[in-house]
Amino acid sequence: MSTLHVLSHSPFADSRLSSCLRVLGHEDAILLCGDAVYALTPATAARQTLDAKADSLQLFILDEDVKARNLTPPDWVRSVDYPGFVELSVQFDKVNTWL
Amino acid sequence: MPHSLLIISRQPPWSGPNAREALDIALAGGAFDLPLGMLFLDDGVLQLLPLQSAAQLQQKDLTANLQALSMFGVEDLFACHTSLVERGMSPNELSVEPIQVLRDHEIAELIDRYDQVITI
Amino acid sequence: MKFAIALYSPAHAPSSRRALLFAQAVLAARHEIVRLFFYQDGVHSASANVVTAQDELDIPAQWRDFVNTHRLDGVVCIAAALRRGVLNEQEAERYSRPSANLSAPWDLSGLGQLHDAVQAADRLICFGGP
Repeated sequence: MSTLHVLSHSPFADSRLSSCLRVLGHEDAILLCGDAVYALTPATAARQTLDAKADSLQLFILDEDVKARNLTPPDWVRSVDYPGFVELSVQFDKVNTWL
Repeated sequence: MPHSLLIISRQPPWSGPNAREALDIALAGGAFDLPLGMLFLDDGVLQLLPLQSAAQLQQKDLTANLQALSMFGVEDLFACHTSLVERGMSPNELSVEPIQVLRDHEIAELIDRYDQVITI
Repeated sequence: MKFAIALYSPAHAPSSRRALLFAQAVLAARHEIVRLFFYQDGVHSASANVVTAQDELDIPAQWRDFVNTHRLDGVVCIAAALRRGVLNEQEAERYSRPSANLSAPWDLSGLGQLHDAVQAADRLICFGGP
C-alpha cells in the first residue's frame, strides 16, 4: 500500500515536514501545497534535505502555490494542477494530510 | 470488510480543542465498532504525560478519556518513540496503557496497514 | 471512484479554497463525492454570516453553490459547530441564541457521519491548516 502525504505548513517554523520524512514508507510520496512549497526555497535547510533525497523521494508540488510564490522547483520535482492532484489521490492507496 | 482508520494525534493537550477533537473521532468510531487505531506523534505524545491536572486550567480531564478508549473499543494505541525521547519522556511511564511504542520505520508500516488516515 | 472530503479550516484559510477546487476537480474527472464533512474550524466554512469584500473570493458562497448545484451531502459536525457558534435555526432555538448562521444545503450531524463516509468511500481526503 502506498500513501500520498500532503503538507501545507511552512517548513521553517514547523515540524511536519521533518516528521513526515521520518515516517515515510518506501512507496510513499509527498505533495507540497500552500506554504509547504517554501521548502523548495534555494539555500535553505529544507531544500537541502529534499535535494539529498532526490534519487529516492517521489515529490509533487501544487503548481499554483509554486507560481504564486515565484519559486523555481528543481527538475526532479513533479508539478501538478488540481486534476493532477485528483489523479494522485486515485493512484495512491490513501492520502494523509498533515492538518 | 469495514475500512480501517488510523487517527494520528499530534497536538499538545492544553492548546485548545485539537487533542480532544482528535480523540472524539476515535470515540465516535469505537461506538460503531469500527477498526480504529490511534497514534500519538510529535507534541501529541504530551497527552500521555502522567499526573496532569486538568482542573488547574478548568478543563475536562483528557487523560481519563484517553484511558477510556479501550472501553470504547479502541484498543490499538501507539506512541512514537522518537517524539517521546525528543520531549524527555520515558516510554515506560505513560498515563495510557496498554500502548505500543513504535520506532520510525514501524510507524511507516503502521500507516501502511490502515485503509485511511486522519492526522490532526 | 468514491471520495469523502473532510474540511478542517475556516473559509479564510487557503486550504478551504484548495478543498473546493479539489472537490470540483473530483467531479470533473467523473468521480463521485459521497459526503463533504466539515469538522473543527471547518464549520466556519459553512457559515452563512461570513461577509467578504467585493473584490475577494466568497468561499462560503462558492461552497453553498457547489453543494446545491451537484446536490451533494454536506454535513457540518454538530459538536464542533456548537463550540464555535455555528448554529442552525433549531440549535439557536434550543440554546436560546439570538440568531442562526447555518442553513440549507448544510446539515448538522454527528461524527458518526464522518465514519459512515469513510466506510462508503474509497478515499478520504482531508484539507486543513494554511
